[in-house]
Amino acid sequence: MRVVIVDDHRVFRSGVRAELGPAVADGRLDIVGEAGDVEEAVAVVAHTRPDVVLLDVHLPGGTVRPGGREVLTRSASLLVGVPARADSPDLAMVRFLALSVSDAAEDVIAVIRAGARGYVTKSITGEELVAAVLKVADGDAVFSPRLAGFVLDAFGTGAGEVAVVDDELDRLSAREREVMRLIARGYAYKEVARELFISVKTVETHVSAVLRKLQLSSRHELTRWAADRRLL
Amino acid sequence: MHLNLPVKAVRVGFVVASFAGFSGVVLYAWLWALVSEVSPGSARDAANRQREVGGPIASSAEAEAEAKAEVEATSTRIRADLLAGAFLVAAGAVLLASQAGWVWVRPGLVLPLLIVTSGAVIAYAQFDEVDRARWFARTGVGTRSAALRLALGVLLVVLGVLLLVVQEADFLLLGRTLLAAVAVLVGVAVVLAPWAVRMWRDLDAERGARAREAERADIAAHLHDSVLQTLALIQRRSHDGAEVVRLARAQERDLRGWLYGAADADPTTMAARVAELAAEAEDVHGAVVEVVTVGDRPVNDRMASLLAALREAVVNAARHAESPVRVYVESSPDGVEAFVRDRGPGFDLADVPEDRLGVRESIIGRMERHGGSARVRSAPGEGTEVRLLLPDREEEQ
Repeated sequence: MRVVIVDDHRVFRSGVRAELGPAVADGRLDIVGEAGDVEEAVAVVAHTRPDVVLLDVHLPGGTVRPGGREVLTRSASLLVGVPARADSPDLAMVRFLALSVSDAAEDVIAVIRAGARGYVTKSITGEELVAAVLKVADGDAVFSPRLAGFVLDAFGTGAGEVAVVDDELDRLSAREREVMRLIARGYAYKEVARELFISVKTVETHVSAVLRKLQLSSRHELTRWAADRRLL
Repeated sequence: MHLNLPVKAVRVGFVVASFAGFSGVVLYAWLWALVSEVSPGSARDAANRQREVGGPIASSAEAEAEAKAEVEATSTRIRADLLAGAFLVAAGAVLLASQAGWVWVRPGLVLPLLIVTSGAVIAYAQFDEVDRARWFARTGVGTRSAALRLALGVLLVVLGVLLLVVQEADFLLLGRTLLAAVAVLVGVAVVLAPWAVRMWRDLDAERGARAREAERADIAAHLHDSVLQTLALIQRRSHDGAEVVRLARAQERDLRGWLYGAADADPTTMAARVAELAAEAEDVHGAVVEVVTVGDRPVNDRMASLLAALREAVVNAARHAESPVRVYVESSPDGVEAFVRDRGPGFDLADVPEDRLGVRESIIGRMERHGGSARVRSAPGEGTEVRLLLPDREEEQ
């Protein structure tokens, strides 16, 4: 898996490199580039076409805040599959994993809605980070407990709203809600699966469905919530 | 009645001026212009200045009855009003005298002068010092009535000047003069416009810069009071690893709250109280407590007992677990549910001696007394999860 690290602090980038070190050593990951601001990030990502970009939410440069969102919007063409090489027919897709110290819900939701496949806080351990990167590269979504809390809040799940039909965009289904609550409680996917007597694959499906709803929903609370914070 | 003059004198002046025909109308317009200029802003300004001036300013009984805000007129304002009032009364007296034949005045001279002065007073008097500063700082035409008064004042002044200059001329000349005057004004406006616009922009930019500067100073002050102090402390205690972690964590929490606005949240609601008790456990036990709350509600007595049980559970976890303690609290229309999870060694509830009050009394007992429930799920090696449930009672809804 080819990885690009985007963060404006060099110290932090080398910290991430060190944490990913073991995975690099055993060949699971390959760090192919680094970037420190929006312009650099867009250029490096377009040039190297990595599998996963570890993206800091707050980046200098560019014109849109948070900077991470601008990297995503300007790399939008890479979020759908593109041929990895001119002579190869198979589609490669660049996936973004947001990595931030920010607790601000609006920033996190902004990068997710711009196309990031997940969000983890910078306090994550190296081992968990490697797992998250691999999961995102596989096409799964990665939710930290905090993001799960934001999602439950934004979809009014706390207020007892539950979707009747699974594919309703503006509300979570009962099962999705259960999964989100367990993640918010700090359960890993494996533990969620055991708790709900379902397979890990099913948990991943639910989480991906929630991510899709988060990106596509025009739910009025979500919109208003974002508008209050001048997002859209 | 706002002129701070004896009412009788004003009335006499009005009557007298009415004798002079046209000037009565002018005086009426003048009175109208000066009365009722109390926007909320100016009332506030007046109240502020009131403190500087010291003590309430004496005013007539009518004024007191009319509006308390009016009573707190500014000294500047009153001086201007007094001046204008005295002037008008004098002018009225002169006119009266002239009509009575005591003094010979050229009406053709007095009348225009009166009009000019009235116009100037109307346009000018409504700006007390603050308003005047604002006028020069911004567009100034904040309200429609202010703009109206300004227009009226300018009109009166122009009319007066015209009357003064072209009293004996015919209408053709008057027309030409008007045309020439307007042409000159337009010419001057065209020449000055770019300059005015630039000045305008400069002013705007400067105000923006000042605001940014203030914000920067605010941030610097906060960083100095918190982050720099903590860093200094950390350097001095660098030998004590646990203490350094605790300091760094507390500072991080503080800075987060400041940056992401949690600090402005109502400190009496559930979410704020949960964050507070988690912070306390972090400080005392040097553990990391991650809190996620969904929904929020005010804290009542029953809620307070859930928080007390939650505190006990968090402290327990922070004391025994080495990895992060996760707290999840959800407020839904049916009640409140809280989870405290750690990945510590775990224990078997059956093994906990009867006399250990922590879990049994402070958590389970307390929840059950208040119509809730508590469940502890733990297995050696799996960590522990405490679940607190407090359903809302029927009568509370």
